[in-house]
Amino acid sequence: MSTQPVTSEYMLLFRGMHWDKNLSPEEIQNVMSRWIAWFDRLTQEGKAKAGQPLTEKGKIISGKKGQKVVDGPFAESKESIAGYILLQAATLDEAVKIAKECPGLDYGISVEVRLVDQQIGRGFAVSV
Amino acid sequence: MKKPQDTGHSPPSGEISQLTEHLFRQEAGKLVSVLTGIFGIDRLQLAEDVVQEALIRALQTWPYYGVPNNPAAWLTQTAKNLALDLIRREKLFRDKQPEIVATTEQWSVDSSPDDSPLFDTEIKDGHLRLMFACCHPLMVEEEQTVLALKTLCGFSAAEIAKAFLATEAAIAKRLTRARQKIRELRIPFEIPSGEELAIRLDGVLQTLYLLFNEGYKASSGASLVREELCHEAIRLALLLAEHPAGNRPRIHALIALMLLNTARFPTRTDTDGNILRLKEQDRSRWDRAMIARGMFHLLQSAEGDEVSDYHLQAGIAACHCAAKDYESTDWPQILSLYNRLVEFDDSPVVALNRAVAVANVDGPTAGIDAVKAIRNRAKLSSYYLLYAVLGELEVQLDHLQTAADHFRISLKLTEIKSEKMFLSKRLQACEEQTAKGR
Repeated sequence: MSTQPVTSEYMLLFRGMHWDKNLSPEEIQNVMSRWIAWFDRLTQEGKAKAGQPLTEKGKIISGKKGQKVVDGPFAESKESIAGYILLQAATLDEAVKIAKECPGLDYGISVEVRLVDQQIGRGFAVSV
Repeated sequence: MKKPQDTGHSPPSGEISQLTEHLFRQEAGKLVSVLTGIFGIDRLQLAEDVVQEALIRALQTWPYYGVPNNPAAWLTQTAKNLALDLIRREKLFRDKQPEIVATTEQWSVDSSPDDSPLFDTEIKDGHLRLMFACCHPLMVEEEQTVLALKTLCGFSAAEIAKAFLATEAAIAKRLTRARQKIRELRIPFEIPSGEELAIRLDGVLQTLYLLFNEGYKASSGASLVREELCHEAIRLALLLAEHPAGNRPRIHALIALMLLNTARFPTRTDTDGNILRLKEQDRSRWDRAMIARGMFHLLQSAEGDEVSDYHLQAGIAACHCAAKDYESTDWPQILSLYNRLVEFDDSPVVALNRAVAVANVDGPTAGIDAVKAIRNRAKLSSYYLLYAVLGELEVQLDHLQTAADHFRISLKLTEIKSEKMFLSKRLQACEEQTAKGR
């Protein structure tokens, strides 16, 4: 139906495996509770479709026919992806706006916003 | 026996299990105690690191899946797994490894952390052992309180720094020194027994008392952290009182004095953070339930014929809590308690408080005389409350200029904003009155 607004899927990638090591237990609980509330709200609004954490364990496969396999895909843990949320948003601006609400931003986490698109070549990335 | 999957995640939508307030902080304290029992007290830092890592793991996964049904069990299980990984990896545990691994595995096989009394006892014992270690007589006061706050209560160096008005670096340094001392002096990780117990227990009570006082002092911006210190001191004291080794009249007296004073916490300042004096406080907002608990412990403290300074201080706090308004305060009773308290404790601060009681019984002149008669009064010369008390008493005698002088000195001696504001107002009132009188 054409009354349905056109939305696209966006991926929020959370970069940074290592949270600020000096966070106190109280702060950890606090930022986590806020994150859960944030994710929950997005889910209820129908904006968050899925979300998963990613562990540090993994392998990089590269080269022709994948003959090169390297342990630990992450060159630098600061860069590594700690998890993702799949968003349903009207515009990139809206997705970025949501990304900016991420409670981890103040504690060493950065968020990358990517358009998930069938048409190769139209995707682009924005970091907040 | 509970399997780990029983503590599985709830989906993020719909019902979210709410985390109990301060759960992480309190679990951190428990887990550090238990892990210290496993690693040995000389590896206290290691236990702290493992617990921190377990909390961070929660932070890495719970946001996506929601809070597990039993968050405490999840944290315990994760800390245990991390500890086992570490033990298998680290050379320093090689000799003790089989033994440690067996103990650690026992930890979850025999009991689930949430409902087994066995594990509960283990945690409590660990907590008390660590408490006795932190408060060991070989540790100096400042190390005791800081280490207790870090390890037993799960405060970070930054949070402790806020409460003590110190820099984070200074607190971190103190912590390092304290841990080092525990290692070097081979301070035992045990609940003392026999004759040693009574002496060591006094040390623990003293530390808890200091912890409480640190929190009770008039607050600066970080008032929340300070209030937390009071609650932590009470929590640890209750834990100690539950154990046969700690169940003594004097600890009940300490608990009573802490509860009875904390009950007045919400009314000590107005909504703008201004200090309210006892006579200005809204007594209907005192925490009645807490007062009742305080009175219950006061009753328990009366067993036997022991009277400690905690008994007397609890008695004084009880007099205030029992008075329905300021006017009906039983000052003669308070004064008689102070008269006995000064016999225990020749601190000039106690004597200054006694002088306030004297003034309430025999009038401001008698109060001023009592201040003048304080032995070792020189020690108070830079204590802002000495001048604040004198100022108040001079106001009552209508000696407004003298009072103003006292308030001016007092103002210079405190750094705390709410105290400064309070004293400025008192000073201003004196000056206005004086101007009118001319």
